Amino acid sequence: MTDDLNSLDPYVQWIVAEARRPVYMDASGEARQRLLEALRAEPQPKRERFAWLLEPRVALRPLVATAMAAGLVGIGLIGGLLIHRDGRQVDEPSAHVASSQLPGSIAPRAVKFVLIAPKAARVSVVGDFNGWDSSATPMTTQGGGADGTWTVFVPMQPGLHTYSFVIDGTHFVTDPSAPQTPDDGYGHRSSVVLVGGSSS
Amino acid sequence: MSDAADVQRVLNGDVDAFARLVDRYYERCARFAVRMLGNRDDAEDALQATFLRAYRSLGKYQERDKFSAWLYRILVNQCRSIAARRNHRDRVFVREEALLLNAPDRRPTWTGEDEEFVQRVLAELDPLLREAFVLKYVEEMSYEEMSTLTGVGVSALKMRVKRACDRLRSRWERIKDD
Repeated sequence: MTDDLNSLDPYVQWIVAEARRPVYMDASGEARQRLLEALRAEPQPKRERFAWLLEPRVALRPLVATAMAAGLVGIGLIGGLLIHRDGRQVDEPSAHVASSQLPGSIAPRAVKFVLIAPKAARVSVVGDFNGWDSSATPMTTQGGGADGTWTVFVPMQPGLHTYSFVIDGTHFVTDPSAPQTPDDGYGHRSSVVLVGGSSS
Repeated sequence: MSDAADVQRVLNGDVDAFARLVDRYYERCARFAVRMLGNRDDAEDALQATFLRAYRSLGKYQERDKFSAWLYRILVNQCRSIAARRNHRDRVFVREEALLLNAPDRRPTWTGEDEEFVQRVLAELDPLLREAFVLKYVEEMSYEEMSTLTGVGVSALKMRVKRACDRLRSRWERIKDD
């Protein structure tokens, strides 16, 4: 069916037009005042997404220190869970995030993101470092993408960062090799990477 | 100031920044709540619960989601909960007959004080049909946005909207010849 409003029966159009009229519920401002008072009685909200990392049972897994190009030294996370696209198990991706320390204790680190997704037409990485903009950090494949390995280096400030991969512009997938944030309550999770630190 | 900046200010301790978010979205949320619940008392309860829950959960909000979409998910759930708990049909005044008598072409015309008429018409729809119809045509969301918000598939939502439109049309066919 079309969802064009003009295609609707005139009576339904009339209902829609009237239902779109603004509703002014709080002319006196009393409801707003009650709400703000209730809010002030609440504990101040805190960012929760990293709190679980402080629990002893959870740790980032350093894998193998690998010599990277330009003398960079990487640590990584690697795994092999299944990614579901469009509800089907079409890939067996594995992802690898390697951070490389540059001179200077607070200098950005070059972090290498790797995702194996053979059937993807395009992949990008999004996160708090690029405003979750799926067009900001596209990943590339080597050799025409025959092996489905998508990579990108991203300069990142030391600290904890959340990120996801975006396949074909629409499918957000977490990194199967990295720790995840807790569900935000609406079915969304992100991956977490710890960048930098004196040991890396 | 953007939603994301206000959220960050709240999380950094500036609780008053949440008031800006409330002011930015209160009226739009009010319209949805009134259209869904049929009366302003329940709608105000839904709004209070929605903004309180959003405030308590703000630490879980992730920047990749639009704040408005995140807030709407909470609002839709609060409206569903209140609708399930309460049955206030008797609080929706029926002024439809008088309205029809006053309409020369026997088509309802808006007088500025007959909001109850639209509320009555919407209230007659099954809640899930009403929700889909209001999100689609009143809040003017895409089916993809609706799907993200409700957790219901696009094709199912299209069917709900179609059924809502069919029922509204047949309702009119039924009453216009009375």
